[in-house]
Formats: sequence, C-alpha cells, structure tokens
Amino acid sequence: MVVECRNVSRTYDDDTVPVHALQGVDFQLGAGEWVSLAGPSGSGKSTLLHVIGGLDQPTDGSVVVDGVEVTTLTAAELSDLRLNKIGFVFQAYNLIPVLSALENVEFILQLQGVDRAERRSRSQQALQSMGIADLENRRPGEMSGGQQQRVAIARAIVTEPVLLLADEPSANLDTSTTRELLEVLQSLNRERGVTILTATHDPMVMGYTTRQVNLRDGSVV
Amino acid sequence: MPARLLLQLSWRNIWRHRRRNAILLCAIAVAVAGVMLLNTMMRGMQEDMMNTAIGNLTGHAKILEPSYLDDPGIERGFAVDDGWQDDLPNNVLGWASRIRIPAVVMSERETRGIQLVGVDPAKESISFLGDAEVEGERLSGPDDARILVGALLAEALDTATGRRLVLVTQGADGRTREAGFRIAGVYRAEIAGLERAFLFTGLSALQRLLDTDKVTEISIRIDGEDLDTSTIEGLAGRFENLAVVSWRQLERQAAAMVEVSGVSIYILFVIVMGALVFGLVNTLVTAVMERLRELGMLRAIGMRPRAVVAQVVVESSAIMAIGVAAGLALARAVFAFVADGIDLTAFDDSLASFGMRPTFVPVFDIRDAVLIAVLSLALSVLASFYPARRAVKIKPLEALRR
Ligand SMILES: Nc1ncnc2c1ncn2[C@@H]1O[C@H](COP(=O)(O)OP(=O)(O)O)[C@@H](O)[C@H]1O
Ligand SMILES: [Mg+2]
Repeated sequence: MVVECRNVSRTYDDDTVPVHALQGVDFQLGAGEWVSLAGPSGSGKSTLLHVIGGLDQPTDGSVVVDGVEVTTLTAAELSDLRLNKIGFVFQAYNLIPVLSALENVEFILQLQGVDRAERRSRSQQALQSMGIADLENRRPGEMSGGQQQRVAIARAIVTEPVLLLADEPSANLDTSTTRELLEVLQSLNRERGVTILTATHDPMVMGYTTRQVNLRDGSVV
Repeated sequence: MPARLLLQLSWRNIWRHRRRNAILLCAIAVAVAGVMLLNTMMRGMQEDMMNTAIGNLTGHAKILEPSYLDDPGIERGFAVDDGWQDDLPNNVLGWASRIRIPAVVMSERETRGIQLVGVDPAKESISFLGDAEVEGERLSGPDDARILVGALLAEALDTATGRRLVLVTQGADGRTREAGFRIAGVYRAEIAGLERAFLFTGLSALQRLLDTDKVTEISIRIDGEDLDTSTIEGLAGRFENLAVVSWRQLERQAAAMVEVSGVSIYILFVIVMGALVFGLVNTLVTAVMERLRELGMLRAIGMRPRAVVAQVVVESSAIMAIGVAAGLALARAVFAFVADGIDLTAFDDSLASFGMRPTFVPVFDIRDAVLIAVLSLALSVLASFYPARRAVKIKPLEALRR
C-alpha cells in the first residue's frame, strides 16, 4: 500500500462553530492505482489530499505513506517527505515566477542535491514527456495555463515520487486542454506506473482513473 | 539547500523588483557614503589635533620630574647621563632634551610672561620648531645665546630681528637672573598660540645662565600613537624618581577631543544605519508579504523552513552588500577631490582654539571602511530575520490559500 488512512478526522476550530472537514475516513491506495476523490465542493477532498501529503495534520487517526506514519513527523521531516516521496500539482500552477520552465523543474532536484548534469538531463526528459521540451527557457508568465500546468506536473514527477497528488488540476483549463492533461496523467500511470491521487468534481476525470472514491460531508460514501 | 541555488534565486528576485530595490540600494549607498565621508573628516580632524598636540613641544611622551607639571622651574631639573638613549626601540623617530621654564620678557614697550625654552636645534625636528618658518636666522646650536621669538610676540613687544630683549627668570640657586638677548630670528607657527607662548634659545647657553647642567624634560617622538609599555618601563627604570608621561596626560584636552570624536563616529554611524535598517525592514516585510504565496509553495514542495529564512536573509544581505560597496566606492571617489586638504582659513581663529590647523586633510581609513561594511552587513542580517521569520511562521497551506 502506498497510502493507508485509518479513522482520519480533521476538525477546524478556528471559527465559532467547529467544521468537521473529515470524519473517520478510512482510505487505501495501492501502488500503480489512479484514484480520483470525487464529491461536491466542501466535501473534504482537498483536506484529505493535504493530510496525505503532509501539508496538514489530522485531528485524529493515522496516516501511513510509503510505510511511514506521517502524523508524528516534525516540520523538517514533513518537508523531506514532501520533497522526496510526494509530487504535488495544485489547482493554481504555483511555479516560481523568476525561474524558467527548465529551472522550475530543476529546482526541486537542486533541493535534493542532485548534481548538475543529471539534474539537467532528468528535467529535460520530464519536460519532454509532458510534450513541452521546446518551452524550457520560458518563464511562467510567458506560458499558457495548460503549459504551466504541464511544467508543474513535470516538476512533480521529476523526482520519481511514490505518489503524485493533484488537487483540481483541470479547474482552470478548457475542455481540450483538460483532455490532453488527463491523457498525460494516464500515460504516466499506465506506462510508468506512477501512483496518482486526484481530487476533482470534474466528471471528465472519472473516465480516465482506475477507481473513484466519493466523499460527502467529510466521510467516504 | 545548496548555496548556489540560494544566490541564484535571490539574485533573480532582486532583479524582479529592480525599481524598488534600486531605490533602496541608492538610499543605502548614499547613507554609507555620507557616513564614510564624515568619517574621513573626523579622522582627519583627529589626526590633526593629535599631530598638533604632539608637535607643540610635547612629543608622544616626556620624561620629567613628576612635580614639574604643577610647578615648573629649573629646580625640578634632572641630569642626563650620556648613553641613556642607547637601546631605544626602532619606532622612536627622535628625542630632544630641553629646559623649559617660565620667564618674563621685556622690550622697551612691553612686558610679557612666556615659556623660555632651551633647545638643541638639531634635535627639534621632532617638534613644530623643526619646520617652522623663520625670518632672520635660526639658532646655530646649543651654544647659541641668541633667541628665536614668535611673530605674534615680536609684534606685541614691538621688536624685530637683530634687536635685543631682556629676560628675567630664576636660576638653579633660586636667585633671579636677568640678561639681555639678541633676536636671531622671528618664527611663525601654524597655531597662533604657540607664537605667543614660546621663546627659544640654545640649551647649553641657557644652562650657563642658570648655573646648571640639568634639563627639565626629554621629549620623545615615535612612529605610532602611543609608546608601548615595555618602552615606558625601560625608560622608567633608567630614570629613577622621574616620570614617563604620555601626550594623553600632558595634553588632556586634545586627548579628550580625539577620544570624543572617535566615539562620535560610531554614534553617527549607528543613527544613520539605524534609520536605514528601518527602511530596509519595511521594504523586506512588504516584499515577503507579497511573496507569501510563493514562499508557501516553495515549502509545500519540500523546501525546509530554514532554507526559506536563509533565502530571505541572503536576498536582503545581497542588497545591503551591493549598497555598501557602492556607497564606499562613492565615498572614495568624492574623497579623491578633497584628499589634498580643505582650506579652512576663513574659520582660522575658531579652529585654532580647537588645536586645528587652517587647512586640514581628511583621512580615508580603510579599517573604518571595513568596519562600516561589516557592521552594515551584520545589521541587515539581523534586520532581515524578522520578516523571514514571519514568512515561515505561517503554515504553507495558509500561505498558499492567499
Ligand atoms: N482553513 C480552514 N479553516 C476552516 N475551515 C476550513 C479550512 N479549510 C477547509 N475548511 C472547511 O472544510 C471543509 C472541507 O473543505 P475542502 O477539503 O477544501 O473541500 P473540497 O476540497 O472538497 O471542496 C469545508 O467545509 C471547508 O469550508
Ligand atoms: Mg478543494
């Protein structure tokens, strides 16, 4: 199992009324799967993704990623988990504006301390597999939304993470760009065996995934 | 996080906001240049005050009978054995033994109280007398029984080269001596007060008049600011019952001024840089706040909080470093125009009372430049920690949500 969630709850107390974003979620994700979290807005998809990705701490329950219990890790250990085991693709593209496409992808390998030559070739390969090798010198501001999202995916997979997390990856894209993106993810999943967890309420995504998990009011239904 | 990556990111970010950073950089450069230039003035002033104090017959230290300072007179004199100077350290530029006693000088018109100084002219290269301008003749040697009079004193006495003056002073036996002296020449000093105070004659000639073989002081000039303790101890051992007194004690006022101006340089620096740091912090907080999302994302993809702090600190320190370098370069360029000295003759009188010469030469001290650079960088590192901490105090998810 790449991910095992047991009885995971996340309650937000900061407002006057506590919000139960997740309530006793049990969830498993096997290697090579592409699972899509579905459910209406506010059902807890993003929260579950963040908890699994070590960006948020559950109020209760256990989350094991690649054999490691993440709920007890320190901030620095969580940083390393995110750096080495997880690839993130966010709704907004979240690239570093002052770096070119290639540099954005290389950046994460630089954080890992990969040497220059290997960094360069792996990053170029990642861009190539996303079909945007010719854009490597462009900065984010000089690319379309779809192109930026491909750079973001290239950055997420260049480290060969055990798990790729994508939160509403197609939210800002038009239909044909979304289809291209989903095909890219599908080939990553099928041909390279990348384990993927996406969260979306876009019904188009459902046709590409291996399995779908429905959330409603913070619980799996 | 590799240092190269840090520098690269910082450089790109600085360039991204080049207009804002250029303004900040200019502010830093101008402030640093201002502080550095004021510093050259202060150092010049210090040097001038020190040289004046040391050159006006004081030297860096004097050997004398301790009570002479309170009650100068030939009865406080001491004998000098030949050979005392045999193993003086290498940094001693010269020394001169003198008799220096109070006397009254009379012309046909006026009577004045002055300091009568018996010198060996050959040894006085260590004092202002060595390069004073003389109208008429200089003293030929220690046996020359003529006198050198300051121009202002000569004017007050209404006398001139070749005329005679009568001097009254006390001999070694306590009895009064009165004798006529011919004026060999009239000297000019850069500090007007000296011309009124000192009247010179040959040391041996004066000893004969006073019936003594003693002197009242030995003045020592060195290359440096102060005699080292081993030298002082060596001298004190050789002259029992005598004191080795440094110029700082002999010229207390000048020494205090030198000290105060040294401290004021740092006070000025702290005030200017303090104001600057407020501006820097303000800019940094703005820069960090508008990049909060980006910094949150960097952490979301695995950049450690410490690396994020380091990045902000490196970024602001880089701006500071460039600003300081530019500021020091600017100061150096402006300094080149005034390096030969600034003519202050218009303020002559008031400056002279501070012991300063009419033209003064600013001093660009490279150690001060280094100190300013180091302190500025240290300040900017400290200052940037605050905004950097703010950037990582907020959780990456919260930052991303903005
Ligand atoms: N930081 C937060 N503070 C308070 N409530 C939150 C916060 N983040 C999410 N929530 C609440 O948690 C619930 C689940 O949100 P989310 O996981 O974002 O749902 P989804 O991604 O399925 O739209 C929602 O009711 C949302 O308002
Ligand atoms: Mg969501």
